[in-house]
Amino acid sequence: MGGVDTDLIDIKGVPDNALRDFLKKNAVSLSVFEARKVVELLGRNPTLTEIYIFNTQWSEHSSYKSSRAVLKALLPTQAPNVILGPVEDSGIVELGYINRERYGIVVSHESHNHPSQVVPYEGAATGVGGIIRDVLCMGAKVIATADPLRFGNPNGQNKNKVKYIANEVINGIAGYGNAVGIPNICGDVYFNDSFDENCLVNVVCLGILKEKDVIHSYAPKNAEGFDIIVVGKATDNSGFGGAAFASLILDEKDRENNRGAVQVPDPFLKNVIIRASYAVFEEARKQGIGLGFKDMGAGGIMCSTSELCSGSNFGADIDLSKVNVSMKGLPPYIIACSETQERFTWISPPQFTKTLLKIYNEDFELPSISIGAGAFVVGKVTGQQDYVLRHEGKIVCDAPVKSVTEGIRYERRKTAPKRNFKEPNLKETDDYNRALLSVLQHPNVASKAKAYKHYDTSVMGNAVVETGYADAGVIKAVEGSNFGVALKTDCNPMYCRIDPYWGAVNAVAESMRNVAAVGAVPSALTDCLNYGNPEKPEAFYDFYEGVRGIADAAKNLYYKGTKNPVPVISGNVSFYNESASGKSVDPSPVIACIGVLKDYSKAITMKLKKENTNLLLVGDRKDELGGSVYYEVNNEVGSVVPIIDFEKERNMIYAVVDAISAGLLLSCHDISDGGLAATISEMVLGGDADGEIGAEISLDFTNLRAYKALFSQTSGFVFEVDEKNVQRLHNLFKFYKLNLIKIGSTAGRNILITKDGKQIINLPISKLKEAWTTGFAEALE
Amino acid sequence: MPPKKPNIAVVYFPGNNCEEESLRAVLASGMDGKIVRWNQRKGIEKYDGFVIPGGWAYEDRIRAGVIAAKDPVFEIIKKEASGMKPVLGICNGAQALVECGMIPGLKNKVEMALAPNKNPFVSGYYCTWVNVRNVQDKGRCAFTSFTEKDGIVPMPIAHGEGRYVTKDRELLDKLVKNKQIIFRYSTKEGKIEDGFPTNPNGAMYGIAAICNKKGNVMAIMPHPERASFIRQLPGSAELKNKFAGSIEGMEGAAPARQLFNSMKKYVEEEIL
Repeated sequence: MGGVDTDLIDIKGVPDNALRDFLKKNAVSLSVFEARKVVELLGRNPTLTEIYIFNTQWSEHSSYKSSRAVLKALLPTQAPNVILGPVEDSGIVELGYINRERYGIVVSHESHNHPSQVVPYEGAATGVGGIIRDVLCMGAKVIATADPLRFGNPNGQNKNKVKYIANEVINGIAGYGNAVGIPNICGDVYFNDSFDENCLVNVVCLGILKEKDVIHSYAPKNAEGFDIIVVGKATDNSGFGGAAFASLILDEKDRENNRGAVQVPDPFLKNVIIRASYAVFEEARKQGIGLGFKDMGAGGIMCSTSELCSGSNFGADIDLSKVNVSMKGLPPYIIACSETQERFTWISPPQFTKTLLKIYNEDFELPSISIGAGAFVVGKVTGQQDYVLRHEGKIVCDAPVKSVTEGIRYERRKTAPKRNFKEPNLKETDDYNRALLSVLQHPNVASKAKAYKHYDTSVMGNAVVETGYADAGVIKAVEGSNFGVALKTDCNPMYCRIDPYWGAVNAVAESMRNVAAVGAVPSALTDCLNYGNPEKPEAFYDFYEGVRGIADAAKNLYYKGTKNPVPVISGNVSFYNESASGKSVDPSPVIACIGVLKDYSKAITMKLKKENTNLLLVGDRKDELGGSVYYEVNNEVGSVVPIIDFEKERNMIYAVVDAISAGLLLSCHDISDGGLAATISEMVLGGDADGEIGAEISLDFTNLRAYKALFSQTSGFVFEVDEKNVQRLHNLFKFYKLNLIKIGSTAGRNILITKDGKQIINLPISKLKEAWTTGFAEALE
Repeated sequence: MPPKKPNIAVVYFPGNNCEEESLRAVLASGMDGKIVRWNQRKGIEKYDGFVIPGGWAYEDRIRAGVIAAKDPVFEIIKKEASGMKPVLGICNGAQALVECGMIPGLKNKVEMALAPNKNPFVSGYYCTWVNVRNVQDKGRCAFTSFTEKDGIVPMPIAHGEGRYVTKDRELLDKLVKNKQIIFRYSTKEGKIEDGFPTNPNGAMYGIAAICNKKGNVMAIMPHPERASFIRQLPGSAELKNKFAGSIEGMEGAAPARQLFNSMKKYVEEEIL
């Protein structure tokens, strides 16, 4: 490659041991093998800047070096409704046609686990900030976020730390999302001891655009000579090495050292940048200008600019001295790789550059919003294949651009770990009232209001079903059209602990059921794969099985009316989620399902609407209590997790969507954590726990023992149906070869459950409310 | 030629985030309007009324609304308000109206504060649905011409600092006497209770909205623009369930639209 003007670091002539020490001393995560590979690619020893570039780009976080081959081989990412698969910052799935124009839902799903464990408020906040950038940079209007969270045991050994982290994460999500003004429409929270030293903070973001308006994360055609423009906060040294950091195992001792790697959120500046960027989109569309636009996340300016250019076979020539910085004397490798928040890169034809700069710098006055902020031309797109960085007149990097962006691959070994789970033999309890209350009070079942009431769930004014009222959140998608978008995230960590394959299948199926339960057609999936250390064959086995489970579920739970998969259009892999003691978190392939409603007005909630209506069940109850909340409150884990019968499951999902579309259901709730008994209790209570209509249920439809019928988490739904619609509903379910069972009716002010003519549960709504509304709140206190 | 429609400026200060839905509510009530940035103040006096939307103007540096209240655009808004144009400050906009002395506007200085919420359930920012009751006669201020006395309006709140307080003991008496307290937090049946959850932030006297003496300026903490369409109502609202399955019904006016409809009537009768 080309010559550079700065000192080269000797790699070639240094023996392995000395090289290992050198890399460690300089906080470079590259292995000796990888450092030698850098020399091979460059054809010479690297500069310091080049070392840090490869250090970032070849981190697991940026390169997917362990995971890519598995993802590519297994996941279905293409389908007729896919506008853009998982290749750029976000995936895009079809919403539908409005005035003959095809609209897409832009989706991104990421993790911010390691930063959140170290500095939970900032970690969670910058997680939200990053995901919003991913969606915005596709040219989309950002419309919603969601947050799946996993925390440690709030009553265990590390309870104080766990509670602190949980509260700070929730505050961080609120502090950022509320200020930028994007509604939080759903999420899920689980607690267990596997997350004691490594919480999971995932975040999902949705946007909307016309297909023709997509702005890609690569330079447009004929971009040679186009300007490279950096916009946003002035670059500092925050988050330097963040991508490499995300790929390290957390050691409590290193907490202080790692602190510098976490970025600093500025939602106020982001609020203004979002609006200014919308103005740029509008102006560019008006003038018919082709642009490239990319978020600056992991790897900062270097990653963003190299991928924009490399993506369309261009090179880049960038002067780092032209980057707006907020600290004096920053070395070039920090300017290039720092992960300062609230920044983007544009590729703009020179004739549009002035307009673009004016919008950010004058119309929206970025320089007066935050010191040093603004939009600045820092370089040019070149026709060569070199990635050139200059600093103070010297060339500090000159590498083949493809070598910077293509990364490396590893083939990891996998070995099935030993899993010694057994089914317990529980006695029938003599107090089912108490059993139900303890399940409802479990923080994994209890109302999450204490978290989501911190979040702005109604900003933008388009929420149709806000967080908590139903199995999924629903928002009106586009002004002037009837489309609605539904969203829900899921993954039960206990299922995955017992069986990483079926745990993943269940996560997909449940997310689809949740979206169907509001009447939306499950249309696409995203996966955020949170696992342990991929260099350990047992952890890699769990990862592989998880991906296989997602793939099988996505391929076999067809997109409604077709045999196409429900495609996986975006995702993220987060490895090294384990503590210094080597304990991995429960395998956590967190799934988000995006659903489409043609008519948002038909969306329904879970709360019972009327007295003297029918309560119907679909989904036979089975002896599948492995990983259930009931086992957990009895200090058991079990071994038999719910098994998904793909044909039945998809028919169930389609039938529910059809039933809601035909207006046959008054309310609907899927069966998951806590089983049938929790499902009915939540329908009685409603999202605000202000329900006033009770239910009378008989368990005589099943031969299962009472606790299994009540608390098995086998998939299914409960519906509230007016008498006049029961026959039509039966006919509809018959068409899908499904058995619809009447289990009771809405009545009174209590929940009354009988078996074999004997009353086993009789609780007033007030008792249900007390248990369900306190369990989660207590976990946080 | 049809009569001129009232034209409303929805003023965006850097950090606000409710400008779009505020404009949508303005348009839905039959007015014209535009989002006007803080630095586009030239000519802003030509608008017939102003909405100061919610959010975090100037990052709520120092205190919510303080910096926005010192922005030069507020001098113009003050002047136009003294000429009787209507000004509606919602949430962060309400905080700015209090910080610039327009509300309650008795001494032309800051007389009250919107203090951090007192809430036994969630500390800090709190987002939930509440009910407010119009405790004055219909039409007492520019925003209640269509809201009966004792009429109840459901709206969401979304704030961390929404607790109306004052150190001036006589001020509350004056506000009551002047009929400046327009909306108070109530149950859905209209019962005013001091405690949580009916009063979601611990505001004195359960105050949700105050107007100036002349009634053309109002500072309201809940969000009428997020409660102006049936579809925006919470999943538990009977009114919403009644319209399930009907887009026309869902796009229809929810009770809080009355505030914007009233603003329109006021401009048509008093300004145009």
